[in-house]
Amino acid sequence: MNVNLSVNIGKIGLKNPVMTASGTFGYGEEYAEFVDLAGLGAIVVKGLSLLPREGNPPPRIVETPAGMLNAIGLQNIGVESFIEEKLPFLRQFNVPVIANFFGDSMDEYVGAAERLSDVNGIEGLEMNISCPNKQAGWLVFGTDPETTFEVVSAVREVTDLTLIVKLSPNVTDIALMARVAEDAGADAVSLINTVSGMAIDIKTRRPKLANITGGLSGPAIKPIGIRMVWEVFRAVGIPIIGSGGIMDGEDAIEYMLAGATAVAVGTANFVSPAATMDILSGIKDYMTTYGIKDISSIKGGLIWER
Amino acid sequence: MSRFFQAEVAGNIHLSQTHNILRITPLQPHVSPAPGQFYLLRASETLDPLLRRPFSILRWDDAHLEFLVRLRGGGTLLLRNMMPGDGIDVLGPLGKGYPEPLKDETPILVAGGVGIASVFPLIGSLHAGTRLFYGAMNSAELYLLDDIKKLAGHIHISTDDGSKGFKGNAVERLNESMDDLAVAKPTVYACGPEGMIASLLKVLKDRGIPGYISFEEKMACGIGACLGCVIKTKQGYKRVCKEGPVFNVREIVH
Repeated sequence: MNVNLSVNIGKIGLKNPVMTASGTFGYGEEYAEFVDLAGLGAIVVKGLSLLPREGNPPPRIVETPAGMLNAIGLQNIGVESFIEEKLPFLRQFNVPVIANFFGDSMDEYVGAAERLSDVNGIEGLEMNISCPNKQAGWLVFGTDPETTFEVVSAVREVTDLTLIVKLSPNVTDIALMARVAEDAGADAVSLINTVSGMAIDIKTRRPKLANITGGLSGPAIKPIGIRMVWEVFRAVGIPIIGSGGIMDGEDAIEYMLAGATAVAVGTANFVSPAATMDILSGIKDYMTTYGIKDISSIKGGLIWER
Repeated sequence: MSRFFQAEVAGNIHLSQTHNILRITPLQPHVSPAPGQFYLLRASETLDPLLRRPFSILRWDDAHLEFLVRLRGGGTLLLRNMMPGDGIDVLGPLGKGYPEPLKDETPILVAGGVGIASVFPLIGSLHAGTRLFYGAMNSAELYLLDDIKKLAGHIHISTDDGSKGFKGNAVERLNESMDDLAVAKPTVYACGPEGMIASLLKVLKDRGIPGYISFEEKMACGIGACLGCVIKTKQGYKRVCKEGPVFNVREIVH
């Protein structure tokens, strides 16, 4: 069966809805040996800041039931090194590149967005306002609606690229945060980022992560992601990129039925480097089985009225 | 040739209640490993345990790969319980192994516990003057000793409880013999538990001996993407899975 897998996120046309989640796919080159990069819907690269970041001390990850906690601490090579050293490689492939970025201040957000908008080869920006591994002063960008509005508006003013805001699940009302992002000019929202969590070694009484707390990802958080995508779908008009524990095509379909236009694959890349391709073929299998010609037609297709 | 392939279990020898040697047959063309490189293995498609588990390559030939597995939790239990004919999902060889020893140096291999798996491929390939310092908790946990004896000339055994050889760990044994060894250009190649490595770094520094150590860190992707497995070096954090697992001791901050 011939199926139409293409979707749009803002101004970006994706040949299929399978994207990579920031921080789980490096700068693309790590996976080129295992995945046909041009076969992806889009590549979202590891989060960038204006200046390089060293990240947190190890141990940075620990496996938990059906998931993992990480506290990488946003280690990255910085915007300039990305543009110079990593982007040329990614540009060889016929795939949209979306640069995930973050800052410690309003100025850093704006500065990074400006610089990333100024080069060829980047089609979209994904603003991380939600990484749970930084200190309290910074966290407010993703959890306080007024600050979120302010920082997204400021970034919107300096970029014409498709602007995606990545939302934190560590809030009381994610639909409100999504509406704020939409009102501030975001073209799309992606959710969920990792869920704040913690694990303790009871023999040593020490935290399993040097950072003490970290972000939980993997199948363990999928029901949270599905619920939040569904809540956001009913609250905003902009496209949603669903993520959180997507391991196979069926998980991706579940996110789309909840309201996602596209999906981002994260932890699954660690389990199998070719996970994105398996998920894409799983989506096609579902479409064939259920006679779905256009993937967009199942978006928000959850039947919930009695 | 791929570094991500399916294999079949050819044999699984239980050495003890806690250790087994898993022998697998790759079912697809694969890349040959080098001493000190590692693989990420996945026994099943369960969501829990979720991540692959890393293992140094112990032994290989054209048709097989062998790994020494120590029972640690759910992931290694699945690998322990595998039966001949079972399918297994393999990623590797990964990382940077040991550099080839120079002709005029005397390689000194130091292994603690399952660290023996990492240095094992070096044993047979080096010249007759090579020394091996091999330590374990007790005599029962000195795995692969018969194989090692066939390959190496000078073996210095130690056990924590003194049940065989020197009482103490491999580094204490090494430190004790260093003054009498009188070998040309000693260079250490080592792998072992955290405490042993910490004391080894100190011994090498105090004595000004060069060396290469295989490090261990919790790991997710194994291919350099997740940045989960870093260790502190003089040039900042480096990835055990990509720049390592073997590092020149000069690079390490300790």
